[in-house]
Amino acid sequence: MALTPKQVAINALWKENPIFFQVLGICSTLAVTNQLINTLYMCFGLVFTTTLSNWVFSLIRNFVPPRVRIITQVMIIAVFVMIVEILIKVLDPEIHRIIGPYVGLIITNCIVMGRLEAFAGQNKPGISLLDGCMQGIGYSFILIIIACVREPLGFGTILGFPLPARELWWHQWIIMVQAPGAFFMLAIVTWIARGMIARQNKPTTTTSAAKS
Amino acid sequence: MGIVSSLLGISIASVYYTSLPIVKANEVLFLNRAICTVFDLPVASDNAAGYEKAVEENIVRDTLRHDGESIITLTQKSAPYTVGIVFSGVGFWDRIEGIITVTKDLSTISGIYFTEQHETPGLGARIEEEWFRSQFKGRKILWENPIGKRIIIGAGDKTQVNRVDAITGATQTSMAVMKSLNRSLASFKNAHDSKNGL
Repeated sequence: MALTPKQVAINALWKENPIFFQVLGICSTLAVTNQLINTLYMCFGLVFTTTLSNWVFSLIRNFVPPRVRIITQVMIIAVFVMIVEILIKVLDPEIHRIIGPYVGLIITNCIVMGRLEAFAGQNKPGISLLDGCMQGIGYSFILIIIACVREPLGFGTILGFPLPARELWWHQWIIMVQAPGAFFMLAIVTWIARGMIARQNKPTTTTSAAKS
Repeated sequence: MGIVSSLLGISIASVYYTSLPIVKANEVLFLNRAICTVFDLPVASDNAAGYEKAVEENIVRDTLRHDGESIITLTQKSAPYTVGIVFSGVGFWDRIEGIITVTKDLSTISGIYFTEQHETPGLGARIEEEWFRSQFKGRKILWENPIGKRIIIGAGDKTQVNRVDAITGATQTSMAVMKSLNRSLASFKNAHDSKNGL
């Protein structure tokens, strides 16, 4: 049965979130979440790429022979990633100096290819576009949460602005600047989110068990 | 497949060539701003034209060659005739490149600026911060020392005239910067002496 736009959005943002449910896109989660501005640019890149590559691949899905579908997907993704990289280079060369290598790695980001293979290849362009966009947003909101914890603890700033009176109370947590800090944060976010989902599902399971 | 490839190729080529002038202009602006900062040049207006004019009016570029190595130098056209040496090396993660300026007699450092680095944000990447760079100002280069110890970052006696503090938690980056600086300065000195018949 085809999914409704509402179901697609809920799945991407919560029930089947790419980060804490599908556990995809972890490399970039670890790499760019130490500063919020880097995270925002990375999220922009991923939303742009997943949305447009899902839409384009869905448009041509009936003309692509199964044997060459993977290479076609990689080609489509690569083009959009290169466009994103050029856009960031034009808009903010300073940020490009910092996250440039990670933007290039969106090409191999599991979320993008996973959605093309699992969704855009079987669905119409409109709903595929929505799925790509929502999956990108689902990825983004988890990264933003992690960055909002890591940057204040690791740098004493938020979006580059110093925390109020930080010289009085703030001490640098070096681990939050490094990749292990992201591992801890990711684990905590995943634990909380999966716990909440499990609690939401519990009454339904009990009800069905009682009925049977 | 052919049609898809052609269409995608055309799209990326169009975006690339449309943005190329802006990307090039951004790169030139970044480099000119770095030169103006490290030489402490007066800039009439805070825009690309202002920085370009300041560099063109005050700096002369040269390439010194010695034993197959090329060293790019930037020299101030008027007093105090500060000399800038473009240095490079391998950092903790990737390439580090920058400009170090020294007085005309090559004895004292007057500034340093990093034009390329990919070190850990919050740790090694702090080499770009003002507090780290400003430590170099006024420090001596002890040319008579062995090549690796002409400038010292971190290790040794704190009263040494050629020493600056390393970055806490980024010892490897600090060591890499020290190594790159000393190696590039040695190449510069050899080329400079050979050019001047010393």
